[in-house]
Amino acid sequence: MDKVFDFRGVSFAYPGREPSLRDATFDVGEGERLAVLGANGSGKSTLLHLMDGLYFAQSGEVRAFGQRLTPEAVERPPFGPLFRKRAGFLFQNSDAQLFCPSVEEELAFGPLQMGWKEEEILRRVGDTLGLLGIAHLRDRPPHGLSSGEKKKVALASLLILSPVVLLLDEPTAGLDPRSQGMLLELLDDLHGRGGLTLVTATHDLELLPHIADRVLVLGEDHRIAADLPTERALGDTDLLLSVNLIHAHRHRHGAMVHSHPHQHTRTHDHAHGEGKDHLH
Amino acid sequence: MGIAAALLDDGLPAGRRGWLGRIDARAKVLGLLFILVIATLVTTLVPLALCVGAAWALALFGGIDIRRVALALLAVPAFTLALAVPASFNVVTEGAPLVVLCHLGGGHWGPWRVPEFLTVTDRGLFVASRFALRSAACVSLASVLAAATRPQDLFKGLRGLGVPAAFVMVAAMMTRYLDLLVRCAEEIHLAKLSRSLGGVSVRREQAWAAASMGELYRRSRTLADSVAEAMVSRGYTGEVHTLRQGRWSWRDGAFVAGCLAFGAGLLALG
Repeated sequence: MDKVFDFRGVSFAYPGREPSLRDATFDVGEGERLAVLGANGSGKSTLLHLMDGLYFAQSGEVRAFGQRLTPEAVERPPFGPLFRKRAGFLFQNSDAQLFCPSVEEELAFGPLQMGWKEEEILRRVGDTLGLLGIAHLRDRPPHGLSSGEKKKVALASLLILSPVVLLLDEPTAGLDPRSQGMLLELLDDLHGRGGLTLVTATHDLELLPHIADRVLVLGEDHRIAADLPTERALGDTDLLLSVNLIHAHRHRHGAMVHSHPHQHTRTHDHAHGEGKDHLH
Repeated sequence: MGIAAALLDDGLPAGRRGWLGRIDARAKVLGLLFILVIATLVTTLVPLALCVGAAWALALFGGIDIRRVALALLAVPAFTLALAVPASFNVVTEGAPLVVLCHLGGGHWGPWRVPEFLTVTDRGLFVASRFALRSAACVSLASVLAAATRPQDLFKGLRGLGVPAAFVMVAAMMTRYLDLLVRCAEEIHLAKLSRSLGGVSVRREQAWAAASMGELYRRSRTLADSVAEAMVSRGYTGEVHTLRQGRWSWRDGAFVAGCLAFGAGLLALG
């Protein structure tokens, strides 16, 4: 499997602040589904920005498609435009991503920057909108769309470029359950049929089995705490507790009140002593 | 409907804005802008009144929402009366008296000469009417253009008329994010309202307003940074590329020709 991303000892800090990411070493293979899991402020978004060549490693090295990511490399042809075409970044805030006056122009923005022919762009705009079932939004201004529609348009604006990898920052945040379901199905389709590499930053444990086969867990110290298959990561309660993704809280069973860590998303059984075992 | 939604587009597709809505945005910008420029050049009342009439005729028979034009026109007196009414008096504009309002007694008030009577003069009334009519003509034409054209088409139209892409892009983004900015300000205000009991002193209100402005600035900067990143992420390198425009139909050409002929007629009238 070819490597799409290769991080070696990467650290990054915003100016005047403590590092947001420390000494990250991992790689992402082509066609993989990786989740970057961590509590708020653990460095998930920073990691995606580094992968997309929006931020650059202050120490260590980030390579994408075999090429080292530097400000010069992502600006200059031929690698720059090719990298922008192959890597699509879905921002958490769709309003930041949809800056054009109409949905059609939004989708056309990327291809226009790549210098595609206009006839080809207009054809691809129609195809992509059709693929996502939002052809009726073509002439609408993005500000008037619902959250689910905005997310779909944002995704369409990336898919039109036929990317190899999608970087998704909290993709289901703020979406209603139906829109969440549609988005997850779409991502599953894109991965299954198109072989797209998916890297998703999230702190939503419920989402994990649907979006990732492998999990990179970021700790609150901004280091990689674990790199595990999804099932193993979800089963490791001590790990999840240590990185602040689950918490121990008090609850009541009849007259008995006790506290222990568990995930609300998974059933589990435990013992209270005196044979009073039960299942949550 | 929030303030933001009321300020911006009404969401109607081009096809539901009457025949005027279906005219190419470039033709509308070119034609109506030409008449608007003529309205600022003519010096007599008849062409200005014709200009207002034409804007209203377009609104009425163009199939667009007449309420939007009427609403915009309601704002005209508020802005013009404060300037136009004093201009009609003999203390500002001299001329033959038409109506005597009161006795001032004459003499001097500091360096200024005070007339015997405060009157509305013929010249003053003309100046005030011309100012009010010119404002009404410009506002009516602009609101007809806005009501008949979706913002996204308007920007396309400007681009098609050769306005630099970077300028149009910035203007479009300003419109796009005005909505978010107003919504953000609304949220800050509502959050404060939900936690307020009774009145507070003017000084505290002022301090709160200053703090809100700071917060709004901080949020808009964060959003601006994200927008810039999203643009770079999709291949933007500093040069704006936009879609080309479609071809004009005979209807678009006829509309522009009509506007040019009407404008020339107004100029001929003075």
